[in-house]
Amino acid sequence: MSLFVQSLILGILLGGLYALLASGLTLYFGVMRVVQIAHSAFLILAAYLAWFFATRTGLDALLSLVITVPLFFVVGVGLQRLLITRLKPATLTMMSVLLTFAIALIIEGMLGFVFTGVQRRIHFSYGSASVPLFGAEVPVVKLVAFALAVLALGALWLILKKTGFGQALRATIQNKEAAQLVGINTDRVASYGFGLGLATAAVGGTALAMDATIYPSLHWHWIGPLMAIIVVGGLGSVPGAAIAAMVLGISQSLLQIPLGTTWAQTVFYVALFVTLMVRPQGFFGGRLAQRF
Amino acid sequence: MASEQPTSPAPEPGSETAPRTGAANLLELNGIEAGYGRAALVLRGLTVKVPPRTIVCLVGPNGAGKSTVLRVASGMLTPRAGEVLVDGVDVTRQGPQERLASGLAHVLQGHSVFPEMTVEENIRLGAYSVKDRALVAERTAFVKDLFPVVGERWTSLAGLLSGGQQKQVEFARSLMVDPKVVLLDEPSMGLDPKTTAAVFEQIVTMRDAGTAVLLVEQNARRALETADIGCVLDLGRLHITGPAADLLADPELSALYLGGRPHERT
Repeated sequence: MSLFVQSLILGILLGGLYALLASGLTLYFGVMRVVQIAHSAFLILAAYLAWFFATRTGLDALLSLVITVPLFFVVGVGLQRLLITRLKPATLTMMSVLLTFAIALIIEGMLGFVFTGVQRRIHFSYGSASVPLFGAEVPVVKLVAFALAVLALGALWLILKKTGFGQALRATIQNKEAAQLVGINTDRVASYGFGLGLATAAVGGTALAMDATIYPSLHWHWIGPLMAIIVVGGLGSVPGAAIAAMVLGISQSLLQIPLGTTWAQTVFYVALFVTLMVRPQGFFGGRLAQRF
Repeated sequence: MASEQPTSPAPEPGSETAPRTGAANLLELNGIEAGYGRAALVLRGLTVKVPPRTIVCLVGPNGAGKSTVLRVASGMLTPRAGEVLVDGVDVTRQGPQERLASGLAHVLQGHSVFPEMTVEENIRLGAYSVKDRALVAERTAFVKDLFPVVGERWTSLAGLLSGGQQKQVEFARSLMVDPKVVLLDEPSMGLDPKTTAAVFEQIVTMRDAGTAVLLVEQNARRALETADIGCVLDLGRLHITGPAADLLADPELSALYLGGRPHERT
């Protein structure tokens, strides 16, 4: 029973992290119909920057967010303006896969070149501490990563729902021409949307690296499950991605008890196949995806 | 039949009110040539004028370039030649956002509400470019008064409203910037006859409230019955223009563009 409770709690924490990692990925698609294969490469880049910051300054790696979040936002705006806008609208989704695949390879290559292929791990003063929770021992780093995810997702929700920019972004997603005609600069809004997606990758990558060993090609391990999450949740739906992430995170964690870690991972792909068979638009896809 | 476009409206409702500035027309499209990409020109030297407090209606067969006129007027399409004047000011090189600030609001054909937002959010987005909160509150009260359904369905998702109600929300949204001219593209599209009649009444209401209207309609007879001035487009040119009532009464035009003689239809 205690193993079940432990797995359930770890599953919830993992689901929260997945929700953050997938939120940016579904946002790009919602705003611009862009499939951003390099999202997970940016997660790993953020993780490396956090590690580099911590080893060089001796400060807590979380403080690197002060630099990486604005940096990633600016990089995202630049990527959208300089590269994504050059893709033809008719083939945007397909071509964005190729373009961002190339970006992922470039990031991986640069990380290998600068930091070598050696596996790295960020050291926290509370790295080995754990707290008892409902009879289970939960590592503090996992709790902090979860808190970071909840905070970031809460901030994302507030931005989308309560700010003028968020309204403009949602209007652009729902009807681009009508958005232009009420005076919204939809190109600028789309580039800020891309920047916002990449800013979530800065937080997500740092949260991810709190409890994982990182290496340059680690992003290939992540992109599959994250893609599965956003398809199951409904492409473009941030709440859909969050709910799918939570369900799949808990499932994966619980399935590790009978199946072991390797086979438990297949839950993402099984869920992906089942979704494509019974509800191809995803569980919160189609028009629902536009409701935040 | 007039072959020259009149520069001021026939003595129609609202004509006792002075225009906003000295310009005789709130919107003028002069000698417009426009098209899409490298394809042939859609508009070939078109001239249309919209006087204050007037409904000007563009009618014509499919492919005559009616919707293109509105796209050129609102800045969504840059003309290859010709000029666009708003209240006497040349706005030809301005984009949609600047045109909106200059006083042109464009309501697209079909449904163009933001369906997954509430009516309130839709209306507030209409004033996206207006920073003065007092002015936004004033305009909100104005459009709620003009279109009661807006207030009644204030917290509903706009996509859940009926077609006619959505149209009214779109009209209300376009009036939030207090435009000089509203450009309406096929407002009756997809609406049943009763709702269409209501929508045309709303267009008259908008004009009487002080906004000039440039209307594009497939439903030519119904539109001319509502409009003050009619313009018949054919092959990207102004074929004929004059008081809407005269166009309706012209048997030749009626046969060519309005689907038969009036007495045969009514």
